[in-house]
Amino acid sequence: MRFREETIRVGGIDVHTWVGGQGAPLLVLHGAGGNRGVTRWLEQVAAHHTVWAPTHPGFGGSGDADWMEGIDDLARFHLWFMDAAGLVRPHVLGHSIGGWAAAEMAVMSPGALDRVVLVAPAGLKPETGEILDIFFYSPLQLRDMTVHDPKTIPEWDELFGKAPTPAEADITERNREMTARLTWKPYMHNPRLSHFLPRVLNPTLIVWGREDRMVPVECGEQYRRALPNATLTVLERCGHLPPIEQPDAFARLVVDFLGAKT
Amino acid sequence: MKLYYFSEFPHHEYPDAEGDKFPSLRLAFPNRFFDRAKASSNYQRYLTEYELADEVGFDGLMINEHHSTPSCVNVGANMTAAVLARTTKRAKLLLLGNILPIEDNPVRMAEQIAMADLISGGRVLSGFVRGVGVEQWWANSNPVHNRERFEECHDLILKCWTEPGPFRWEGRHYHFRHVNPWCLPLQQPHPPIWVPGTASPETAVWAGRRGYTYVPFLVPFDIARELFDYYRQGAAEVGRTVTPDNLGFLICAVTADTREKALEAGRHFVWRMGPTLRGPIDWFQPVGMRSRGAKQFALKARPRSLAQMSYDELVAEHFIIAGTPDEVADKFALVHEQIGCGHLLLEAQESRMDHATTMRSIELMGAKVIPSTAKL
Repeated sequence: MRFREETIRVGGIDVHTWVGGQGAPLLVLHGAGGNRGVTRWLEQVAAHHTVWAPTHPGFGGSGDADWMEGIDDLARFHLWFMDAAGLVRPHVLGHSIGGWAAAEMAVMSPGALDRVVLVAPAGLKPETGEILDIFFYSPLQLRDMTVHDPKTIPEWDELFGKAPTPAEADITERNREMTARLTWKPYMHNPRLSHFLPRVLNPTLIVWGREDRMVPVECGEQYRRALPNATLTVLERCGHLPPIEQPDAFARLVVDFLGAKT
Repeated sequence: MKLYYFSEFPHHEYPDAEGDKFPSLRLAFPNRFFDRAKASSNYQRYLTEYELADEVGFDGLMINEHHSTPSCVNVGANMTAAVLARTTKRAKLLLLGNILPIEDNPVRMAEQIAMADLISGGRVLSGFVRGVGVEQWWANSNPVHNRERFEECHDLILKCWTEPGPFRWEGRHYHFRHVNPWCLPLQQPHPPIWVPGTASPETAVWAGRRGYTYVPFLVPFDIARELFDYYRQGAAEVGRTVTPDNLGFLICAVTADTREKALEAGRHFVWRMGPTLRGPIDWFQPVGMRSRGAKQFALKARPRSLAQMSYDELVAEHFIIAGTPDEVADKFALVHEQIGCGHLLLEAQESRMDHATTMRSIELMGAKVIPSTAKL
């Protein structure tokens, strides 16, 4: 599957975007670790859907947005991105803070989206546990806490196995700064979000790793209870990165869900 | 050159082996090791030492503030200033300082500093600091906004002091619709403003533009000179002349009747250089707190951290000055000659440096060091 890189201008900000595949449009929103580009799961999904994977403002190769203060700003931005890119009622899939952004988009404008896939989204305060304070740990510590078992991850070496180049380290730091801008307080959640989730009638798939040490799996239950049309699939022996840790199983779940008849 | 006495109100009152079990003495070392009775008597002790420093002729008493750390249990610089405003007579009260970025109410801060200035008869020197990263965690204040909040908080405090109220303030980080403080500083237009620096060239330039007194903390002489050059660059931008009165420097110092006693006492400063600065980089410099330029400068300023240096090395590089009054006076003259500062701030006390040793050091500084240093 051939992907191309595009720069799409939204509200004065250049948004670096991976575009590829065939079929109905699918908007893919990345997590705090940044846009990892065309990885194994994405290629498999792109056989069935035209994937649009923008890099959030302030991350990677996209322009700055120092004025943003929260994930709700990011959600409004990506609704605008859909207009700019000409995406009409796409499916949306978001991971971690990207999943949180997708949930915010859905409560703001449910009619603008088709099906919704939330992968270990932040956004809700766990009822008993805590969301890991990622800023309290170094990027290297986080790398190891993010996944369940590096040995089972097919793309581990290419994604995490090498020491970062200075340019890559700069991007990691920039991603971290923008994440801090968007999520510092209240930390990684929006106390008002749960009140709006019942508005979202869109069919929604929630995917979580049983061993997620970043956002506890109980948040998956909370999302499922609050969303009227949601199912929760929990992957065993999986941490916070289902698409990377179990790419084949994850891609199959997504393709089956998006291809299902309503 | 003017001399300032500084006590960080340390609380080194626990078994060191306990502290070593935690990733840092800051944030993580549990406060069950805080000894309430000892702290109560230490506060009295530290204030008594400040009062002697005032009596023997120190030009100023430097007061600081930190949180969630045994290295400094002075958790309210303005509270300490208020006490000393009443119990001391002549020394300046150098607040160095109030941690602006973590302050949510700059109007209250402007009032409190003004009140200390009023009670002290106009002796406050108002230092403003960005704080170490630990304070961002303590206050849960977003480090990405540290510099912006520092500048906006400063601007609002200055406006409280210099422009008649009522007025409205609606900035990016601070919002007050009815500002009209009924407490204004005695000194007009406002108390002199001081700013410390360790590694941010931006801070030096910023202070230079405004003519504030700028004080590098515990850096090598060549780095202090380089930071002073940034300060001069800021001053030149607005056509300001820089004098020694604009420049200060901070070191640790103790004197005693004999060289041996002084060197033994000075060894206590190693704790503040090493164990109290130990900890994960993300706790001391959280994400976004320092600019890229400042990070690069910090690497140059401290190729080796203070924590990695032995006591002998710290003495050899003048981070710690310990000796007889004559020896100490000579070293202070050397500092003055090397960097041309008009103010020398002495961190001169540690909780395990006993009260008698501290008092004798203060006494000797007053009798035998200050008279010669004052001539520089």
